[in-house]
Amino acid sequence: MNTSEPSALVADDEEAPREQLLAALRQAWPGLRIVAVAHNGADAWDGFLEHEPDICFLDIRMPGFSGIEVAQRIGARSQVVFATAYGDHALAAFDAGAVDYLLKPVEPTRLLQTVQRLQARRRNDPAVDPLQMQTLLDTLAAQLKRAAPLTVLQAAVGREVRLIRTDEVVYFESDSRYTRVVFDSPSGPGEALIRTPLKELLAQLDSAQFWQVHRSVVVAQHQIAAAVRVDEGQMHLTLRGRPEKLAVSRHFQGLFKGQ
Amino acid sequence: MIPSAAPSIDWRTVFMLLPQRRFTAAELARAVPVPLSPTLKTAIAMNLGLMAPLLVWAFWRRGAAPTLVFMAVFFVVVAIAGMSAWRNPSGTVARVAYWVMPVGGGLAVGMLLSRIGIDRLQVAAMAQLVALGVLGLWFTIVHRHQYIEMRLLELAERERAVEMAQRLASAQLAPHFLFNTLASVQHWVATRDERAAPLLQSLTRYLRSTLPMFACALHPAADEIEAVRHYLDVMQARLGARLVWSVDVPATLRAVMLPPGLLLTLVENAVEHGIDPQLAGGRLALRARAEGGQAVFEVQDNGPGVNAPRGDGIGLANSRERLLLTHGPAARLELGPAPGGGCLATVHIPLPT
Repeated sequence: MNTSEPSALVADDEEAPREQLLAALRQAWPGLRIVAVAHNGADAWDGFLEHEPDICFLDIRMPGFSGIEVAQRIGARSQVVFATAYGDHALAAFDAGAVDYLLKPVEPTRLLQTVQRLQARRRNDPAVDPLQMQTLLDTLAAQLKRAAPLTVLQAAVGREVRLIRTDEVVYFESDSRYTRVVFDSPSGPGEALIRTPLKELLAQLDSAQFWQVHRSVVVAQHQIAAAVRVDEGQMHLTLRGRPEKLAVSRHFQGLFKGQ
Repeated sequence: MIPSAAPSIDWRTVFMLLPQRRFTAAELARAVPVPLSPTLKTAIAMNLGLMAPLLVWAFWRRGAAPTLVFMAVFFVVVAIAGMSAWRNPSGTVARVAYWVMPVGGGLAVGMLLSRIGIDRLQVAAMAQLVALGVLGLWFTIVHRHQYIEMRLLELAERERAVEMAQRLASAQLAPHFLFNTLASVQHWVATRDERAAPLLQSLTRYLRSTLPMFACALHPAADEIEAVRHYLDVMQARLGARLVWSVDVPATLRAVMLPPGLLLTLVENAVEHGIDPQLAGGRLALRARAEGGQAVFEVQDNGPGVNAPRGDGIGLANSRERLLLTHGPAARLELGPAPGGGCLATVHIPLPT
């Protein structure tokens, strides 16, 4: 990933504004490599984990995760530029907190200013204080009202549909287009496949209860026994009363710092 | 007897020449939120304080004690009644004083006159004082009453204006909607996409049907449904396959009068909270039927349901209030879970019999 030209992700749930931003970016910053285009917040977060772009252009109102929530997860690992239409309540907070944003429809002159700012920031130290930014995003995310998290999963096992309570789940693992659910119910441990991809499921889970530790693994926090550092850059989790070891990818090792 | 066509005599007013409206405590608190100011109190106290010794000096002579006692009592009564009338001109104290002061004053003057040996000039001066006091009280009551009445009227008027302004502001011109739509139009025009023209047409129709909509308190369901259709056309162009919608309102119910924007607000809510949050999109249906002397309008989506947060609820509260204003308590607006998941908003409007 040491190419001189920066990479970018563009996320918007509506086709035309997304295409417009892409076209405008190609004009304003021909060297920018668009490595991922996401149609919702869940895809945007997954796209970030997969491609680790230098810059993320995020629409605020998206299904799955909102742009604010995606930015919260990304933290200081990428430069975030929000895209939104005039009238969004977050704009006042953005202005106060010196957050980069674009108004839709995107104006070429305004985009050029943003591009120049992003380029300058890549040469120098980042001008945005990550801690201040995180506080601002936390405040905005708290104002966002989320639907209640999932409490029951429906998994097709043979000819029956099993109901699995989320508090019995040990971990979820992505399995191509399906998600493998490993659970431990009173009637014994087991596993099942559900049709929802993990990246979409993630947006419906209680983020305090379920921790993503890898692009393809989400663990119930109370099932984790220990995080073991194997060597520089490698870490895995051991679970309570289970033999599996789950790899923790670099992005999520910050969750286990020790007190 | 007076013929029934002629205006009849209001005997209550004949015997109490005062405005009849009684103010409630809440109305008084609203119209006159501040009590008698210290300045006014000081001014009254100074006037009385100067006048009392002057009067005592002017009337003082042998045998004037009853006159002075009467005057003292009269001044206390005038002060109490006056203050009370100032606070509440429609109150019982003011009304009782309206009768007691002239009658009591007249009786006292009469009694003094009938006593031989009392200076007639003195009595005449006292009678004038009583008349002055009564007139002052009457004027206070009428003036204050009118002032409070006008003030209440003014406040109500202002409230209506504010409500109207809010209604207009919250009318469908949500800038977010407009600019997002313009973003699509702009891009499709620039790329010569053939979806540009129909979207622009839908947006124009939407604006044309919603902008004049809020000028009147009621409009026929047919107009409302037109606005809803144009809105859904716009959203359809923007969301594509993520939005599937249907409108089914029988012709017989299209003349039902509705507060403007009522169904549109429900449909917008359904799109924002039912369709938008779903990764795969969703379905929306607007239906109407006649049932038990009522028109029933339903807006249903298959989104995350009624337990999912629905904005701040201001839109809904506003709609309920307007429905109450236009149709009374027989009209209802309810929000509940839809069979099979999602949210179902139901509006009941009584049909004219």
